[in-house]
Amino acid sequence: MNKNPSFKDILKKGALIYNPVLVQLVGLCPVVAASTTFVQAAALSVAMCIELFVACFAASAFLRNIPRWMRVPVYFLIGIMFVCPVLYYFETYSLINISLGMKIYIPLTAINSVVAVHCEQFAVKNSVRLALYDAAASGIGVSVIFLITGAVREILGNATFAGFAVNIPVTLRGMTLPFGCLILLGFLAAGLKAFTAKYFPVREEKEEAAEATAAEEVPETNPVPTAEEFASSDLDEFLKTLGIEIPAEEDGKK
Amino acid sequence: MSNGAVKQNIGNAKSIFGDYLIMLAAPCFVAFRFYGARSLLVLAASVAAAVITDALGGLAVSRKADIKDLCSVFTGAAVALMMPAGVPEYVPVFASVFAVAVAKFPFGKSEKLPFVPAAAGFAFVSVCFKEQVFTYAYGSEDKVFGAESLGSMLLRGSAVRVGTANAFDLLVGNVAGPMGTGCIILMLACAVYLLIRRPKALLSSAGFIAACAVMILIFPRVRASYITNLICELCSGSLMFAAVFLITDEATLPKKNLNRVIYGAVCGIFCMGMRYMGAYEETVCFAVLLANAVRPVFDSAISNMPKTMKKAPEKEVKPHE
Repeated sequence: MNKNPSFKDILKKGALIYNPVLVQLVGLCPVVAASTTFVQAAALSVAMCIELFVACFAASAFLRNIPRWMRVPVYFLIGIMFVCPVLYYFETYSLINISLGMKIYIPLTAINSVVAVHCEQFAVKNSVRLALYDAAASGIGVSVIFLITGAVREILGNATFAGFAVNIPVTLRGMTLPFGCLILLGFLAAGLKAFTAKYFPVREEKEEAAEATAAEEVPETNPVPTAEEFASSDLDEFLKTLGIEIPAEEDGKK
Repeated sequence: MSNGAVKQNIGNAKSIFGDYLIMLAAPCFVAFRFYGARSLLVLAASVAAAVITDALGGLAVSRKADIKDLCSVFTGAAVALMMPAGVPEYVPVFASVFAVAVAKFPFGKSEKLPFVPAAAGFAFVSVCFKEQVFTYAYGSEDKVFGAESLGSMLLRGSAVRVGTANAFDLLVGNVAGPMGTGCIILMLACAVYLLIRRPKALLSSAGFIAACAVMILIFPRVRASYITNLICELCSGSLMFAAVFLITDEATLPKKNLNRVIYGAVCGIFCMGMRYMGAYEETVCFAVLLANAVRPVFDSAISNMPKTMKKAPEKEVKPHE
C-alpha cells in the first residue's frame, strides 16, 4: 500500500471508486430526506463539506489518544457546532430560501455517518494532510451525489431547476418523495459500478494479485486417500501417503 | 446456468404468465363491453410500453431480453386493467415503464423477482398521478352510483349510498371503478381456472381474503350490516383482482404452503390497515409490495422456527458432587 498517496489518488478512490453514498452507503438519510431541490442540495453540500473538513482535521490532529467510545460523540458535537451556524446563515442572511424544507433535517445533517466513518476509519490513523485530502475527496463525492439527486428530483418532481421553471410535459410527484430518491440512487450506484468496473478495475486487479500470490504460496498437498485405500493399507503406509515420516525408534527405548 | 436450464426456466415462466394472460382475456372483454374501444387503447399503450422497455433494457446492458416469457406483456395488461378507462394514455405508459425498468429488469429473470412489477407500476402512478388514476368519470353515466367509486365512498364513510346498493350490481361490476377489476364473478371464475392449473398458488389468496374479511368484521368502515360491508369492501377497487393475479405470482410466494397462507394474511392486514388509515382509496398494490418486502422472513424465520425449537439445547443438570 502506498503510504504517501497523492491527492489525485485519494480523490479517485474517495470520491469515485469508494463513493461514500453510492458504494459505502453512508449518509443516505440526509441525501434521501433533504435533497428535494437543487438549492437545498447545494446548501447541504456546503454544510457537509465544512463539517467533514473540521471533523477530519480535529480527529487527525487532536483526537488520536482519546478512547474510541469517546471520539464518535466528539465528531457529532463538532458537526453540530459547525453545521448549525452554516445553515443558520443560509436561512437568515442569504437570499436562498431554505427554511421550510431544511429545519427538520439539520440534526440529520449534523449527525451523519459520513463524518463518523471517515474520521474513524481514515483521519485518526493518518496525518493531518491526508485526513484533509480524504475529507475533500469524500466531500466532493457526497456533494456531487447531493447535487445530482437534487437537480433530477426537482426537475422531474416539480418541473423547476433552482427555482426556475423547466418545460417538461409531465411531472412525477413521486420523485420528490424518499422512495423516488432511493430508486434514483439505485440507478446511480449501478451506473457508477459499471463505470468503475470499466475504467478503474482496481478490485479485479487486487483479486487477481491476491489469487496469484495465494497460488504461489500454497504448497501442493498430498492427495487425500480414499476410504478403500485407507482400509487396505497399514498405518505406516497411510502416514507415508500423507507425507509424514516417522523417525526410526532407537533400540534402547524399545 | 446451462442453456437447457435457461430454456426450461423460460418455459416455466411462459407457462405461468401464459395462464395469467388467458385469465386476463376475460377482464379485457368486460372492459371492452363496459368502456368500448377506449379500454383497448389504454391496454395496447400499456402493453407496448412494457414490452418496448424490456427490449430497450436488454439492448442497454447487452443482455438478451426475456420478452418470450410473457412477463412484461402480463405486467402491461395488468397495470392497464387496474386503471380507469378514461385515464390519459401516458399514465399507464409511465406505470408500465416503471414496472419493467425498476421492478423487473434490474432483478434479472422473471422467476426471481422480489416484487410484483405490476403492483410497483400501479403504486408509482398512484403517487404521481393521483387525480388521473382515481377519477372514474369516463363511461360512468349508466353506473349505479354515477362517477363515484365504491372505494371513495368507503373512504368517506358514506353509509347511506353503500347501504342502498344492490349486491348483484356490485358483483358484476356495474359501478364506477378500474376498467377491468370490478366484475367479482369473473374474478372468481379466474380463481377457479387458477385452482385447476396451480392450486397451491391460491393458498395465499385464501389467506388474503380471510384476513381482509376478519379485518372488515372487526373494523367496519360504514354503518351497515356485516354482509354489506364485506361485499362493498371486497368489490371496491382492485382487491379481488390482486387476490387472483398479483398475490399468486409464483416468484414472490414463499415456498411452503403454510407460509403462503400467512403471507397472504399479512398482505390482507396491510391492505385493510392502509385502507383505514391511508390517503388512497386503492391500497392493495402498496400492501402487495410491503408483503413482497417481508417475504424472505416467511421463507427463513418462520420455516426454521420449528427446527430451532427442536434443536434448542437442553442444559445438562449435573448432580451435586
